Amino acid sequence: MSGSTGIGSKARALGAAMAFALIGGTLSGSAAAQDPLRISIWGGSWRDFVAENIGKRFTAETGVPVEYITGGTIDRLNKAKLSKANPETDLIFTTSHVGWLYASDDLYERLDMSKLSNAKTLFPDAIISPFHVGTWSYVYTIAYRPDLVPADIKFTSWNDLWSPRLKGTIGLPDFDPSHIIYASALLSGGKTAKDWAMGQKKLLELKPNIKAFYSSDATSQEKIGSGETPVQVLLSGNAYHMMTQGVKINLVVPKEGAIMGIDTVGINKGSKKQDLAYKFINIALDPATQTLVANKQKMGPVSPLAKVDPAVAKLPGMFTTAQQWKDQAIVIDHKQRSELLGDWRKWFTENLIAR
Amino acid sequence: MVERRPAYFAWFVLPAVFLAVALAASLASLLQFAFREHIPGSLQVGGFTLGNFARMGDWVYLRVFIDSLLLSACTAVGNLLLGYPLAYALVRSKSGLLRSTILVTTIVPMFTGDIVRTYSWLVVLGKNGFINGTLKSAGIIDTPLELLYTPLGVTIALIQYSLPVMVIILAAAISHIDVAYEKAAASLGASPLAVLWNVTLPLSMPGILSGTVTIFAWTLSAFATPQLVGGGKVNMISNMVYQLGFSNFDFPFAAVLSMVALALIFAILYFMGLGMRRLERVGLH
Repeated sequence: MSGSTGIGSKARALGAAMAFALIGGTLSGSAAAQDPLRISIWGGSWRDFVAENIGKRFTAETGVPVEYITGGTIDRLNKAKLSKANPETDLIFTTSHVGWLYASDDLYERLDMSKLSNAKTLFPDAIISPFHVGTWSYVYTIAYRPDLVPADIKFTSWNDLWSPRLKGTIGLPDFDPSHIIYASALLSGGKTAKDWAMGQKKLLELKPNIKAFYSSDATSQEKIGSGETPVQVLLSGNAYHMMTQGVKINLVVPKEGAIMGIDTVGINKGSKKQDLAYKFINIALDPATQTLVANKQKMGPVSPLAKVDPAVAKLPGMFTTAQQWKDQAIVIDHKQRSELLGDWRKWFTENLIAR
Repeated sequence: MVERRPAYFAWFVLPAVFLAVALAASLASLLQFAFREHIPGSLQVGGFTLGNFARMGDWVYLRVFIDSLLLSACTAVGNLLLGYPLAYALVRSKSGLLRSTILVTTIVPMFTGDIVRTYSWLVVLGKNGFINGTLKSAGIIDTPLELLYTPLGVTIALIQYSLPVMVIILAAAISHIDVAYEKAAASLGASPLAVLWNVTLPLSMPGILSGTVTIFAWTLSAFATPQLVGGGKVNMISNMVYQLGFSNFDFPFAAVLSMVALALIFAILYFMGLGMRRLERVGLH
């Protein structure tokens, strides 16, 4: 009796275990189907644009949801480094030179370009490295509030920022001084990023004109919107965003050129959803998406096949042809920029911010 | 006969042990960065070095420490001057309306986040903000006062940020003073000001000291307020740590700054604690 009871209970236990395994297997299969593609990206309008114009199409085509992990450029880089053994995300959007920091710290997968059909038609300079490709471009350039700056002050050159009449008016980014450092070096006879020390003396002469430093897109917009820093070295996309909010801002491409920035995407080292990641990147580089990048977001497309509204194409800092990339944009070598950024930041912190 | 506590009381100390271990582990992690080489352009750190500590002698960084100490001292003193009358009225006033008003105006802002409060100071202190707008409307000034991105603006915002804590500490201290002492002094002919100066203030000295020390130490580690109201022109230790660590990737030197700041706070707390014990020994309370 006890024996038969024992066999019965074992059989019941086995049955229950099999049922459990079946249900568990079904559930885990379902969870795998719904397991999202995780993307590391900035917050705010950047995340919204990607979610609306790339993520939705990706989910419609693949059935895979997308989860966005947002944060600042450097914060996300640090997080990626800390979770290197077990990456939190599959794709990373970041700026071109910061992408090189990911690459040099072995945080990116090497891209298989044969899986990126839309990459074949990109501007050649948009292929940043074997690890990351450009998704849109913008410029950091001179922006000013015409209602708060004397009408007779004209901005045609980076040198105009040094006008004594602009004392206590200028706002600069504190997280990346490469734009003003490079511009100062150019004005001092420098030819490449390596000549940056040539511009140090001139940059120190800019101090009286600097009112404040901004630490994010949000504080940049707040400072120019409130008029506290009516002149800024500003990201073109932020200027256009503020214009849509009713703030009068003039954006100028100086005769020496505007400093181009390229935002990029790369695949996290160790991502288990690489095929899906390639699919997402392909959608981002699709000429249709690139058309939206230009016309909706007012950012420069990386594909010459984008159909840019002529009115948008005329905007300062909106480079839509290979010739414009060559003539009007200053493209600092991305790898060199990533290597020099630490020195630039140190010098900038010690000589302009802390002093 | 000494009453013995139940054995399970010992378990109550576990959360404190857990916190202490977590703090010690994170500080040890920070400390090891301080002895590693910074590799420019990389997130990795190099081998052992003591060179990071030598950089502490640079005037740029010493000045950040001096500025932070001055701002913290000004904030603590400002808090005391503003907080004492408020705390006194909060405890001693017979008017329920006055007490409620003080409570609402000083304590409620504590429940809004520091970012919200700091952003509101951007609006108040700005060129076209409330203060400049009012002064201009009244014909007192023609050109706006420079309040934002200045030490004065940062101090004002820091004082408002920490005032609720000071008022709570002072109110607790004042409420422990037996009013009989004040009545006795008054009955012997002391004026209200003399009672305040000779009786109430000395008896509330422990609250004054602990409030001042708390605000001083708290302000020394301030980040969001100097970051936003200082606009990169007024930098405290935390802002410099952030700049070095998260923009320059110079984690080793950022760790050194953090460790030195921490040691400085401990030293200040230790010496202030000594001062408080001496005051208590002379029987002020």
